[in-house]
Amino acid sequence: MDLTSKLRRFLPPQNNSDTDSRQTACDLDSLLHGQEVDTPFGPCYVIEETWPLAKRHGHWTLREVIETEYRSLDLYGHPCDNFDLHRALFLDTETTGLAGGTGTYAFLVGLGFFTPSHFVVKQLLMRDYNEELALLYLLDQEIQTKDTIISFNGKTFDLPLLQTRFTISRLGLAGTREKRHVDLLHMARRLWKQKLQSCSLTSLETHILGVKRVGDIPGYEIPGRYFEFLQTRDGTLLQDIVIHNVIDIVSMSTLLYRLQTTAELPPEECDCSYEAEAIAHLSFHSRKPRLALKYLEAAAQLSSDDEQYLRISRNAAAILKRLGQYERALPIWKRILEIAPDDLSTAEELAKYYEHRTKDLTSAEQITRRALAVAWQSRSPKTSALEHRLRRLERKTHARTAP
Amino acid sequence: MSVGVESVLQKIESNPRFMNNVTFRHTIPAEPGVYEPIPDFLPVKLQELLRRKGIEALYSHQAAALHEVRDGKDIVVVTPTASGKTLCYNLPVITTLLANEEARALYLFPTKALAQDQVAELMVWSDELGGKIKTYTYDGDTPGDARIAIRSAGSIVVTNPDMLHSGILPHHTKWMRLFENLKYVVIDELHIYRGVFGSHVANVLRRLERICKFYGASPQFICTSATIANPQEHGEALLGRSVTVIDKNGAPRGQKDIMFYNPPVVNKPLGIRRSSLLEAEAVAHELIAAKIPTIVFTRSRLNTEVLVTYLRKSFQKLGEPHETIRAYRGGYLPKQRREIERDLRAGKVLGVVSTNALELGIDIGTLQAAVLTGYPGTIASTWQQLGRAGRTDQPSLAVLVANSSPLNQFIIQNPSYFIDKGAEYARINPNNLYILVSHLKCAAFELPFAVGENFGEVDPAEILDYLADQMILRKVEDRWYWMSENYPAVDVSLRSASTENFAIIDTTDGKTRVIGEIDRFSAPMLVHEGAIYIHESAQYHIDKLDWDRQKAYAREVDVDYYTDANLDVELKVLDVFEHEELPQVKRNWGEVMVVAKTHMYKKIKFYTHENIGWGNISLPEQELHTTAYWFSVPKEKVENLDRGALQSALVGASHLLGNIASLELMCEPSDLGVTAQIRSPFTGDPTVYIYEKYPGGVGFSEQLFEAHGRLLWRALSIIKKCPCPSGCPSCVGPVEEVGVEGKTHTSWFLKGVLEHGSNQQTEEILTPTE
Repeated sequence: MDLTSKLRRFLPPQNNSDTDSRQTACDLDSLLHGQEVDTPFGPCYVIEETWPLAKRHGHWTLREVIETEYRSLDLYGHPCDNFDLHRALFLDTETTGLAGGTGTYAFLVGLGFFTPSHFVVKQLLMRDYNEELALLYLLDQEIQTKDTIISFNGKTFDLPLLQTRFTISRLGLAGTREKRHVDLLHMARRLWKQKLQSCSLTSLETHILGVKRVGDIPGYEIPGRYFEFLQTRDGTLLQDIVIHNVIDIVSMSTLLYRLQTTAELPPEECDCSYEAEAIAHLSFHSRKPRLALKYLEAAAQLSSDDEQYLRISRNAAAILKRLGQYERALPIWKRILEIAPDDLSTAEELAKYYEHRTKDLTSAEQITRRALAVAWQSRSPKTSALEHRLRRLERKTHARTAP
Repeated sequence: MSVGVESVLQKIESNPRFMNNVTFRHTIPAEPGVYEPIPDFLPVKLQELLRRKGIEALYSHQAAALHEVRDGKDIVVVTPTASGKTLCYNLPVITTLLANEEARALYLFPTKALAQDQVAELMVWSDELGGKIKTYTYDGDTPGDARIAIRSAGSIVVTNPDMLHSGILPHHTKWMRLFENLKYVVIDELHIYRGVFGSHVANVLRRLERICKFYGASPQFICTSATIANPQEHGEALLGRSVTVIDKNGAPRGQKDIMFYNPPVVNKPLGIRRSSLLEAEAVAHELIAAKIPTIVFTRSRLNTEVLVTYLRKSFQKLGEPHETIRAYRGGYLPKQRREIERDLRAGKVLGVVSTNALELGIDIGTLQAAVLTGYPGTIASTWQQLGRAGRTDQPSLAVLVANSSPLNQFIIQNPSYFIDKGAEYARINPNNLYILVSHLKCAAFELPFAVGENFGEVDPAEILDYLADQMILRKVEDRWYWMSENYPAVDVSLRSASTENFAIIDTTDGKTRVIGEIDRFSAPMLVHEGAIYIHESAQYHIDKLDWDRQKAYAREVDVDYYTDANLDVELKVLDVFEHEELPQVKRNWGEVMVVAKTHMYKKIKFYTHENIGWGNISLPEQELHTTAYWFSVPKEKVENLDRGALQSALVGASHLLGNIASLELMCEPSDLGVTAQIRSPFTGDPTVYIYEKYPGGVGFSEQLFEAHGRLLWRALSIIKKCPCPSGCPSCVGPVEEVGVEGKTHTSWFLKGVLEHGSNQQTEEILTPTE
């Protein structure tokens, strides 16, 4: 038995694909409106689309995006000194798989950047595996003209994948290695993780950016669609992917804009309790506790959700305590216990306050007893600490009342 | 202390009850060490460290290893347990690393425990040498942030083949620093990589070589192995390159007495002997009571626990503290092992009961006696376990206590097989089509294949074209690229025969715990609904078999019966690769299709063997495309046996040969299937087939074809030496299966086959006791 028939027997075909028959001659130019570009490593395909700055994408125009100063992004934990959007490159890849590893290829790399008059989306497409080197060569040229890469989830996905491709290509190209990288997903999570169930780009488009996609191809279908294109050369298979990638890039630009403007929104202008709460949290971590308090106040006023209200109040009280403003923390603690009598941590705070600050042992004891009753009932791990506190309070009271 | 062993020996020798069961005694005389000076080319720092550790000279094999590696050779060091093998690789590696901080080494150990042990030792060395040599283990337990440090800074990366296969090679760009600077690949316990596992690992090494070449590295290989018959051949097959074997042991050794102990028969008709566990306990008790540090090996974790309990109880009665006896398991951390070691040296621990965890190179020293509960399955393992007792210059004692299985009985009755043969052959078949194709996929994922590029010795073009036809790869210009979303390494397990294994899940008391795995082919036989599945001596009832999801749900029970499924095996010969025709027998090996179907099972009561019920099994038919060895006897030669007698002879021969074959092949009996046909549609004659249960086979069939005469002689000698009257599980199988004349028929049949047959093997096997 020869090897091939043996293979057929041992490892029978798994996918009965009928695509072989459809060998459509492909005229990509008329479908994708791009052109072949030659490089020292052979050709690859480049699609360039220019968007006038007046064009609106969701809630904002591209002019608004480019005419903003991006000076507050460090609120989200990304140091952004000297950030200049003119020297930044939006980047998003479409790949042959999501598993990662050395066998996953980026077959389409979308890039976005501003010129004085336009927003340009440039897409590099390898029409087959042998065009990868040319794609990487062109990609590197684009990257080297800029100093910052902006991506959505690029930290874990796109950039390592491209670095792997650059390493395997052995062209000696630096790729994104020495560039500053801004990952919008990480920023978006910091701002909206309480507000949104998912911080995927599609979810952000729907809830934050006002972008509605029609007939968008789901991400998981993309590798299969590309493989089918390789077999059939049918360019229509790529149209949806190219459009999907363009929207990803443009949405990134308005997302960046929204992140910047929100970071500078004064507390009194906030209209979303979750955003105000998130900014408070971020301000606190930027060592601006007083500003954080202002945002928390705004958030508390906007909040219509008890659980969030309690969380905001606890945080506010904790900050006030740290600032030594006990007289402002006191009514908040009291308010919390009115709404949530079983909040043992707050009860503890209050008991501490009475015991150590105002030396009001009676109130301290009363609160501790009430808390202990709750703790016993709920078998809380705080029980022993509360018992300990109560014993001490009783001792102190006794010492005070004893002659 | 040495007086201890001798006085115990005297005591044992004067005990007739004991000596009656000793079937064999052998003394290996003491031998002095052969030393060589520490070579000058070792860095002074390292020489000083050796001297600080009390090493003034090297054993000759350590020095030989150093010189061969210095000459650029790839080496395999084959010396017994506790002969200082780790120095054979650590010295050259550390020498290179001290001279070149960028240099890297990759250490492969078959188990995590061994890897951790090694790292603990290397860290001590590194500290003493100034801390520049960074050693890390990289395995499934390594936390994410540590992984990043290991990739860039680990001078020595210690891992296992599985991790190399699924975690390192598919992400080779992240390991660029390692691969660009890789100077040595160290493979410890080379003999473990045989059969299916070895065939996989050989392909992982082909992939490693390919990646190294990509990054411009050509590392040297330093391997160690327990004694096997063919280290050169095996090393070369595994590494795909020529190797230099160093097998002259320079380590000194004390006198070693070896005894084979066969527990007395307690049920003659059934051929059942007294429990080897209880006999081993008695032997160990004797030794420990005489204050001789003793290790007892058992074959399962459960038996380890049982023995520890027994021994502790009996010593408690003698007023000994609880800690005198310790269990020792594979899962123990290096720290726990160090503790046991320390207590052994201090005399606080006198008995260690272990599964085979210790056999694999983990050293706890200071033991003077070893008791083996049952034959460990291979000569190599047996020597490793026997070697655990007795250091350099003290006498030691090792006792092998046999159980009733045919393998054990063969060994115990044919000690010359054990002493003279030395060790088994380790075989692999890296070109098994299933295994090869799996790894070609992984390799294509790692880097595209270029036309004309070889994979080991294989030209993979035809297979790659086939994969391209299947749209798993894509060929463009002169390269094949990976064209699938999948990550192929995930689907390839190096250790289990196939990824199609069924998990057996214990659901007792509402928990869900995987207690075992079983290959797809055996599942209908052993885990059909209603089956009683035995795991570590506990009985489980299979409540549900989810065929599509490959899961069997079991519940622990205590019943007085076992189940036996009837397997109908149809075997069709597809292709004959080699055959030999003699007047009395035709032997062949080739490709076969095995179709197996189970229809029903019986419930059989323990001891009485009454049939107390039955059930239907409706599971799909199973096809297995594999290789087999078979022999047939011209029907004229067996004319004087009636159909019943012939049937009984074939059943008896199948039972015996299946067991003997696994002995020959160093594999588990469950890796092989045996079936016999009274009138084979292919040969037209009575035929016995031994087929491989791994699809495509891993080379066992060819080996059995070559070993044909030896196999049959061994089978015959077992029948002759078995004291049972008419058949028992230790020889031709239970009387219920072969009939009262099973032994006679089988032995007549086998003799007929051997008549005028390979005479040289007669002498080899039939010892003077015949």
